[in-house]
Amino acid sequence: MASEEQKLLVSMIEQFAKEELENVAQKIEKEGISKDIRKRLAELGLLAATLPQSENGAGIDRSSFSLVLMTIAKYSASVAYFIYLQNTLVNEILFKAQKRKEEIAKIASGESTGTLVHDINLNFPLEIYIKGHELYGANNFVILPDADFHLVLARSEKTSYLVMANPVKIEKKKPLGFRAISFGFASYKQTIEEDRIILKDADNLLKSHIFDTSDQIAAIAIGMSESALEKAIEYSKERKAFESYLYEFQPISAVLSDMKGRIEEMKKALMLSEDTKDRILLKLNALELARSASRLALQIYGGYGYLEDLGIERYYRDSMYLTMLSSNYIKDIEIISKNIISPDAFKI
Amino acid sequence: MSFELPQEVEETRKRARNFALREFTKELIEHFDETEEYPNEIRKKVFDAGFITIENPWNMLVTMEEFCRVDPGIGLSTLASVFGSEILLLYGTDEQKEKYLYPTLKGEKISAVAVTEPGAGSDVAGISSRIEKSEKGWILNGHKMFITNGTVADHYYLLARSAPPPSKEKRHHGLTLAIVERKWNGVNPVKLKGKLGMRATDTAEITFENVLVPNKNIVGEEGKGFYIIMTFFNISRVYVAAQSVGTAQGILDLLLEYLAEKPASFREMEYVQFALAEISTLIEAARNITYKAAAKVFSFNPDPALTSMAKYYAAEVANQVANIAFKIVGIEASGSKLEKLYRDAKITEIWEGTSEIEKLVISRMILKKIQEVK
Repeated sequence: MASEEQKLLVSMIEQFAKEELENVAQKIEKEGISKDIRKRLAELGLLAATLPQSENGAGIDRSSFSLVLMTIAKYSASVAYFIYLQNTLVNEILFKAQKRKEEIAKIASGESTGTLVHDINLNFPLEIYIKGHELYGANNFVILPDADFHLVLARSEKTSYLVMANPVKIEKKKPLGFRAISFGFASYKQTIEEDRIILKDADNLLKSHIFDTSDQIAAIAIGMSESALEKAIEYSKERKAFESYLYEFQPISAVLSDMKGRIEEMKKALMLSEDTKDRILLKLNALELARSASRLALQIYGGYGYLEDLGIERYYRDSMYLTMLSSNYIKDIEIISKNIISPDAFKI
Repeated sequence: MSFELPQEVEETRKRARNFALREFTKELIEHFDETEEYPNEIRKKVFDAGFITIENPWNMLVTMEEFCRVDPGIGLSTLASVFGSEILLLYGTDEQKEKYLYPTLKGEKISAVAVTEPGAGSDVAGISSRIEKSEKGWILNGHKMFITNGTVADHYYLLARSAPPPSKEKRHHGLTLAIVERKWNGVNPVKLKGKLGMRATDTAEITFENVLVPNKNIVGEEGKGFYIIMTFFNISRVYVAAQSVGTAQGILDLLLEYLAEKPASFREMEYVQFALAEISTLIEAARNITYKAAAKVFSFNPDPALTSMAKYYAAEVANQVANIAFKIVGIEASGSKLEKLYRDAKITEIWEGTSEIEKLVISRMILKKIQEVK
């Protein structure tokens, strides 16, 4: 259950999202997250939400941050994901590594953007290497390739590093979802000075960071589900077929109610996840929920939902895109199996 | 009992497959998806290659499947350029066939079916467009929505209300079907852009303002349009089922291409193998129910419940296999054709009767059997 303090926080974020994101959500998708929006997010402390107050962060605790992401995602999933990504960089990586304080400050203020380039969610490792101090290689699946700086996972013969780099070339592609956030190719070729090495043995550390923040992805997915369902319920009260409102039909009412129940259960679970295994499970279930809720909303809206004007088809694209970005199902389920069944599980 | 299609049909399938692989290039698929233009040049090639024929509907069915396997947007756009032709074939006068049907089947004209309205989609009998008798013919006023081929068609097979329903239970009475030409005065089609998928298809909103329709353009009996449209849906839904089967098969093709590029160790994972088995089984079942429904329709012995089962189930399968494939490919699907097929697949659960409507048709037919038992 959310505390009084958390309820207050959610109410403040909800007010911001309603006033400053809801009406421009479609515009944000087309034009991207503007510097003005970044500044507003920074003013609200959302770009360094989990960073301690002593470091000029908002000092929000883990479950409160999940509630923030869930609330923002109801109005703009792209903005929620952007907040998640910037916080991962600022708090989970740079602050914990005690590196690059100037970049932390720039992200927290909305002045700069950063991105994380890794292959944790891919089926096979990427070919980005570091030899001596020379970084080289490319990645086809970079979120925010036009960010001001990239934290890149690079492998050497013996270990792996997370280094701060700038791409020599980027190519943007139209992504399936979260179209406010660019996506595409980036290649690297540069000498990495010592102060640009953020983590050594980065592969394992990055994996634990990413898997451990699975509840934050779940929060975004739950917010999207809630929003899609609210829109579906709203439309079922406006649209008539066979001289009755859609919600009056038993099967429609039943699936809407069932979805509401699933979302409420997931919201409770979000506040209870205790370890990485729980969080990954929560993420998988929340992503599935988001895909189901978006499919349901689109089905209720029918042809109108298929057009971008009403923003319903966006849920359908975004929910699958969030799944692609944040989950490698095989790897996720392997970790869970090994944790809850046996270390030998998922071997064959 | 044989589950094999005749050799002639299998040969058509091969030709359709080769044609689609050759003509629906990656560049063209991306171009039409991006611009939402209608692929008129490819449509002409489809006619020249002889794929659009009513002599043997099985040929059209397997062509639909194979075209959509490569690209549902272009595939459906080209084949649906004769959309609604069965209406004239079954109910048209010789004059109507001469003027509208035969030129369409030769690729000289494009046709469309205009039934859906802003306030009535699934509820066909709920349409409010009106067609009324006048001294010179009929006057049409109304508003149609989501009309495939709406801005490129030469003529529409349009359903409108010609008389008030005799009772609440008989709302489907008093509907009349008419052929309306796009270029007539008072006809205003507007292309709808920004669709989730199937972006090569032309979709329009059309208003009709005091459009004069000649008497000779009324199809079938006045007031019996609902039955004509339902008969047509029984046919068209089989083609939508084939569209779904083709889309699902296209997703399996892409998954196999993906796996072929990965090390054997990945393919050897039993989780991956089980996913392949599930997808293949779903597609095979969808194909079989589609062919069974088609066999009934094409032999003039339609089974509306079976047709609806095929349309509903195949659409479900197309969307389900997309989800399974994404679980395997993940982020590597980004920017790939798999993403596009995921977007294209969704419409199959909506157009030509939503899955909910199909379930209603199925259950009503099944419930009749209870009465028979009693």
